[in-house]
Amino acid sequence: MSGEFQGYLAVGAALFILGALGFLTRRNLIVMMLSAELMLHGVSLTFVTFGRMHNTLEGQVFTIFILTIAACEAGLALALILALYQKVRTLDIEDWTELREPDLPSPKSNTERVDPLPPEDIQHFPRLTPAGGAPEMNDSGTEPASNGRLSVEKVQATVM
Amino acid sequence: MNWLQQNGWQTAALVLMATGICALMPRAGSRSRTLGLLLALVGTGLALWTLPGPTGLLANTVLFWMFSAAAIVCAILMITSRNPVYAALWFALVTLATSGLFLLQQAAFLAAATIIVYAGAIIVTFLFVIMLAQQAGATVYDQRSNQPLLASIGAFVLFAALLTTLRSESWAKEPPAAVVAQLTVSNRLSSGTADGKMQSLGRSLFGDYLYAVELAGTVLLVASIGAIAIAPRRSQGTI
Repeated sequence: MSGEFQGYLAVGAALFILGALGFLTRRNLIVMMLSAELMLHGVSLTFVTFGRMHNTLEGQVFTIFILTIAACEAGLALALILALYQKVRTLDIEDWTELREPDLPSPKSNTERVDPLPPEDIQHFPRLTPAGGAPEMNDSGTEPASNGRLSVEKVQATVM
Repeated sequence: MNWLQQNGWQTAALVLMATGICALMPRAGSRSRTLGLLLALVGTGLALWTLPGPTGLLANTVLFWMFSAAAIVCAILMITSRNPVYAALWFALVTLATSGLFLLQQAAFLAAATIIVYAGAIIVTFLFVIMLAQQAGATVYDQRSNQPLLASIGAFVLFAALLTTLRSESWAKEPPAAVVAQLTVSNRLSSGTADGKMQSLGRSLFGDYLYAVELAGTVLLVASIGAIAIAPRRSQGTI
């Protein structure tokens, strides 16, 4: 086989292992998902090259399916990441280590559990002063009823 | 000695790349990224130099080297960048370079679809999530990486194994003519002109793979419904 395909296959392998390396080492959930997409790129390139080696279009067809699944995966994973972020307010993967054998030590690196670094380079933008008073809100966050009739209707709607 | 003559440059290139990536990975203490970047660049150049490139047209060869170098260097910078926004933007560049490699391989529709789907949709979604979920300033988990040395060694041993397999000629033999004669392949790549390739790709998708296309559409629908169901929503009345 000529070296023509070998170059493409090697680039595909390089993209795959770089994605794997990023997935294994990085601790940010978003960067981990990006690395998984990088692995998919490497596999797509390999599929297209194999298709050209065998003189068929099947590699390209497979890559189109990979594209579909990558889109699904990105949407679902980002929704999950947002849901996780809402719970712990951090994107650190090491905060999600509950699923392990009970007698194993925590995989959290002990030396790393220090105070967060002082935030660098935060730009403080000027804020506008609020115009007019804020609307009154009660504790549940809804507007207070202006008259009794409306609140009775609301209560009836809630009961029904 | 013979082995060293054959594989010496490639081994040196892989060791240089691994060392550079290991030095580039975020870790405690601020150190200069110049040395790691230099090592990784030299290693990438050496690794590409040891590869046999495509033969034929000069433009083809030059474009192959350009796109390959861009893809690998941008991928290295992506996985080592300390800011997720920069990582997403480097990933967009990797996508562009990969699309260029697709174009060189007579996959024009695939190149366009990759750019549209990845650079147009997935990167934008990632950037939106970064805007929604990223804390201001540098965070501790972006400044540290998890076992960079072990992961680099493992990944590059895998890479070396893959490259060695690619270099060996045993798997790349032509199949026997009797086997080829029995194969009935409806979607030959070489059938048709340059315009006809896209046509035959569509014919293959909606002919040979019709059920798979329908299933992929269903998966996409289910995934979008699932994403809407999973995504957190604000409690009512809060701003």
